Amino acid sequence: MIEVALMAVAVLVILLTLGVPLPYCFGGGLMVMYFMGDVVMKGNMLWGFQQLGNPVLLAIPLFVLAGTIMSVSGIAASLLRFVNIFVGHLRGGLGVVATISCALIGAISGSGLTGVAAIGPLLIPEMEKQGYPREYATALIANASLLGLLIPPSVTMIVYGWVTDTSILACFLATLGPGLLIMANFSVVNVWLARKFPLKLEDRPKGEEFVAEVTQRGFKATPALLMPVIILGGIYGGIMTPTEAAAVAVIYAIPVGFLIYKGLDWKTFLGAGKEASTSVGAIMVMILFSMILSQMFVLESIPQAIVESIFAITDNKVVLLILINVLLFLVGMVVNDVTAIILIAPLLLPLMEAIGISPVQFAAIMGVNTAMGGVTPPYASILYLGARIGKVKVTKVIRPAMILILTGYLPVVFLTSFWSDLSLYLPRVFGY
Amino acid sequence: ATLKISHIRPQGAIVDLELKDFAANVDKATEGDVKVKIFAASALGDYTTVQERISVGAVDMAVQPAATAASRQMQITYFPYVAANWEQAKVAYGPGGAIYEAMKGLYAKQDITMLAAYPVYFGGVALNTDAVSPGNPNVDKGIKVRVPGIKSFQLTSDSLGYISSPIPFSEAFTAVQTGVVDGVIGSGAEGYYASFRDVTKTYIPVNTHFEAWYMLINSETLADMDADDREALIKAAKEFEAKRWERAESDQSDYEQKLAEYGATIVKLSDDELAAAAKKVRAEVWPKILDDIGAEWGQGVLDQIAN
Amino acid sequence: MNRFASLLLTGLICLVALGQFVQVITRYVLEVPVMGLEESLLYPTLWLYMLGAVNASRENTHIRANVLEIFLKTPKQHVVLAIVAEVVSLVVGCWLTYWAWRFTKYSWRVWKESPTLYIPTFYVDIALVVGMVLMMIYTAYHLVQHVRSLFDEESQS
Ligand code: NA
Ligand code: NA
Repeated sequence: MIEVALMAVAVLVILLTLGVPLPYCFGGGLMVMYFMGDVVMKGNMLWGFQQLGNPVLLAIPLFVLAGTIMSVSGIAASLLRFVNIFVGHLRGGLGVVATISCALIGAISGSGLTGVAAIGPLLIPEMEKQGYPREYATALIANASLLGLLIPPSVTMIVYGWVTDTSILACFLATLGPGLLIMANFSVVNVWLARKFPLKLEDRPKGEEFVAEVTQRGFKATPALLMPVIILGGIYGGIMTPTEAAAVAVIYAIPVGFLIYKGLDWKTFLGAGKEASTSVGAIMVMILFSMILSQMFVLESIPQAIVESIFAITDNKVVLLILINVLLFLVGMVVNDVTAIILIAPLLLPLMEAIGISPVQFAAIMGVNTAMGGVTPPYASILYLGARIGKVKVTKVIRPAMILILTGYLPVVFLTSFWSDLSLYLPRVFGY
Repeated sequence: ATLKISHIRPQGAIVDLELKDFAANVDKATEGDVKVKIFAASALGDYTTVQERISVGAVDMAVQPAATAASRQMQITYFPYVAANWEQAKVAYGPGGAIYEAMKGLYAKQDITMLAAYPVYFGGVALNTDAVSPGNPNVDKGIKVRVPGIKSFQLTSDSLGYISSPIPFSEAFTAVQTGVVDGVIGSGAEGYYASFRDVTKTYIPVNTHFEAWYMLINSETLADMDADDREALIKAAKEFEAKRWERAESDQSDYEQKLAEYGATIVKLSDDELAAAAKKVRAEVWPKILDDIGAEWGQGVLDQIAN
Repeated sequence: MNRFASLLLTGLICLVALGQFVQVITRYVLEVPVMGLEESLLYPTLWLYMLGAVNASRENTHIRANVLEIFLKTPKQHVVLAIVAEVVSLVVGCWLTYWAWRFTKYSWRVWKESPTLYIPTFYVDIALVVGMVLMMIYTAYHLVQHVRSLFDEESQS
């Protein structure tokens, strides 16, 4: 059966290469499983379609719409003008702002998609205006979007805590260190890469002029600045859930865009609604068929088979840790994050404990790896959503994304595995 | 043949271990003819989806709560305060009991054979705050609790004096943590320990409902088995069920104990307080649900239990 | 058509946002949460997903990872590749549509209802087959356009 699964992945990659739209690429993989592997298709549409109803996904259309409205209405521009007083003269400053914004969004949302959904439509055009290549801006925001899975709260850690009977709060704290480190990596790498971009930098105003600019731009940006305040305050003040916050952001942005910033009129509003819906539809149908395909792998116990073959290789701790990271990387390429955790975590945990890795540290290892899975093709849902929102070709986005994965994620994957304090220090401080 | 069986708890949970025993027994009794392959942690989908997948024959078996989408009458299993204690629960939900037989008949209409009922626990309320008049259902507690999207839970929660807030399960933990709601209702000590122990300051075993899961198999799959294998499977299911009835009560107190050790205050209610809660909820909630599921049929089942 | 698509999609997505917003207001401000709002929102949400995807088909803006395109030189080669991709899409898509249709028949037969308001779930389930059929129609349309442009080019050269 593993052969058929490999064939399905091969067909998926071939169709991808040919330029077949992603939903049908996964459909092609499904056909291979069905015709060659004798897997039942009965009941699978039912399963997949019900998965689409998962409330976790509901935040995506709302955040995409909020981001799009902010972008076309002038809300984003005025926010940016304000932020630029402080970072506009710094080479790479805006990229760092994008990264940190994704981390902040990550602090309110539990999924990896929210950052790119909310920040993408808002900052990709602004970054391009300043001279960043569009595909780079897209790749950066897609990669940083996954901080949503590392900075608490996080859906993957809730599921991990549940399947391994580990304290969920401890898991939240375990991924926070690696998450912040990845954020720092992206910031540094961004500044490094920005040397070569033809950026239009602002002059930094000095003394009184600086104060005047802060006051003037700050005043104009106040309604826009209230938006993150409402969202963060609403969630941490115990008023709303992240999904609801996305809706509140939309409801707030519409009148502010129409009446205060005036960038919004009926035409741009309808355009934003259509644009957001189309991006969301394209990604959801892809998610639908990719989830059915990964469910077929589950039914045929493919992940278990792969894990078992790894067990047989060695009992050396270092080699095992490396192999397990390779395995998680491979799994992240084809399966969505929560499924990967449900299947793999209970299988691997006994082995990890045997070689002296605690469940909390393993939470961080799984967390970082599965987050990275969001940007590793062929199943790179976050990167694809980024490409759709940023309106760039997937093929162009892959190269900058790879650079960011290599420099941002991989060192942290390595550190998380081999330096236990990175993930265990914070949980220890809080008594776990 | 290999039967794929789904359940909703993680690997290593009680039901998982009991299913492993079940699988071993089936393997032995059929001399290796029938293998049971366990899929834990809802890996094949949540219980509502899995019930439909069993109905169409895409998944063979499951041990899980009843999904009521295709049959309103299945809400009979969620009726609050049908049983006040374990003896009464066994009368209603045990083999041959009124709810047991009713559920069996309803499942049959969906091409599903119910092999066993699996008692889990009496439900309670888990709060991230201190309890407010926990024993008096007539006091408005001003406490928001997350309820699952099942009507009887929502009505029960209101009736007990809580403000019920429907929030998806995936967002429930964070919602309690940030204070969007102050607690959760609809599960029991075992469920709360698994998913909410970090945010449970108080646990009130107010016996909201009796949680029973059912062992299901696609009827056609069962019929297509060889007669000996089928008998062996049914027998193993009966043993699985009997063993559960023996242990369910002590497992429930174990989990209350575990919650307490993890730092929660367990608010034990007196028999009088429990009776007051039962009386109020029965009076307020039963008529509404009975209306939904067909009063005559539903009352018939309830009367059978009463006698 | 474009205006209709914009109105429909914007309407759906705003409806979803409004529903969630009402949820916050009723729970936090009024402290009487609306039962069944959650499950009702599923209907516009899934229609939004499917019709959004249909619009992506209409505009031919589905996500693609067209690696081969980089290596192709002439416009003709590009058109041929596009035709191959559309044909594959049609074959796979029709197979998927067939299963979506079986799902619809199943949903019709079983006639499920949502848990508290008892709204038939058929009205949400049918979005899948409707969306798939429309996507196939637009895919076929784009295929025809590509084939045409191929012949136009040949007749010119
Ligand atoms: Na997060
Ligand atoms: Na991936």
